[in-house]
Amino acid sequence: MADSENDTEQTEIVVLPCSGLDKEAGSASRELALLLSDRGARIVCPVLYERSPKRYEKDLGAGRLVVIDGCKTGCASKLAAERGLKTARKLTVTEAAKQQGVEAGKDPRLGSALRDLLPELVEEILATGLVKAEGAEGALFQETVSYQEFGIDKFVFRVPTSGYFFNENDCWARVDGPRARVGVSDYVQQSASDMVFFEPPALGAEVSIFDEVGSLETTKTALDIISPVSGKVVAINSEVVEAPDLINENPYERGWAVELELTDFGSDRELLMDSAEYFEYLKRKAEGEHEALYGK
Amino acid sequence: MGVSRAKIPWCPTIDYAKCDFCMECDEFCPHGVFERREGDRKLVVAHPENCVVFCKACGKTCGPDALSFPDKKETTELIKRLREEGKDGG
Repeated sequence: MADSENDTEQTEIVVLPCSGLDKEAGSASRELALLLSDRGARIVCPVLYERSPKRYEKDLGAGRLVVIDGCKTGCASKLAAERGLKTARKLTVTEAAKQQGVEAGKDPRLGSALRDLLPELVEEILATGLVKAEGAEGALFQETVSYQEFGIDKFVFRVPTSGYFFNENDCWARVDGPRARVGVSDYVQQSASDMVFFEPPALGAEVSIFDEVGSLETTKTALDIISPVSGKVVAINSEVVEAPDLINENPYERGWAVELELTDFGSDRELLMDSAEYFEYLKRKAEGEHEALYGK
Repeated sequence: MGVSRAKIPWCPTIDYAKCDFCMECDEFCPHGVFERREGDRKLVVAHPENCVVFCKACGKTCGPDALSFPDKKETTELIKRLREEGKDGG
């Protein structure tokens, strides 16, 4: 894993921006791509790429892809998903601006407030891929996980028999001593389909129970990982960042998303289901959904 | 969470000054929270009780940023309080 991470750090950045001209955020996206180009990134024009994908085949194979959406309509990331592009980093200008207290305007020309934010975003994007996984070493999370399962039609849903705690958002925490790994359940990965992108939280971020600890995009939908526990983000699973479909392959073990240093598990626990409770909850939920779709 | 869903006021609110009725959120949500209508307000939050508590996923589909949600911390506090009251009462 260390070798592949080092390889990642060496490669170039390829930018697929929104080129929307109907909002300020679109203009900011374009400008951000140009600033990245000044620093050596290759730009993929979304319009030309839509028209002539072969034109960019070589560029897209040359480095880590950064997708910049102007707004949450997400045209650039939808284009990337439709073409099956592996995305190393995604940024939405309106969201990044909001975090800095700046609201993107309706006037499509780029104003000074948004323009002033761009240099910082350039540096943040250039650091993409430098996040290291520093998951717990030694004895933690080593116990063999056993599963129970139930089937509905052709679907079989698995749930670990112990050691995991769940919220009603179908996210789990595998608790081992002072730490917990967090991920999404087998039900989520089957319902949401193939994972194509994982946007992790910042290392060191302090999260409370039910806060978002990253988001996932699949070929069908987008969803947040809602943390079942409070704590500090001490590791991100770089294997999942590199290959989000690991969540589809192995949602409860190798497909963990983040690792937290727990801060208040005693209190968090009261709001969670244990493995047996979640198994019954999920069974009722899946049966209800199946009945609503297909009848009894 | 040990609290009746009906007691947890969690659902999106549509800002009609921003909404352009693109219906992306309605197409996205698998829980039937929204409903389309005739007239000025072509989309309404018709079934808030169907919204999954703490889910904000439809908001991510909203280009004009017209969807907002209750404060998560306040909602968590409310759930904890209701659980305590439930214990006292039972």
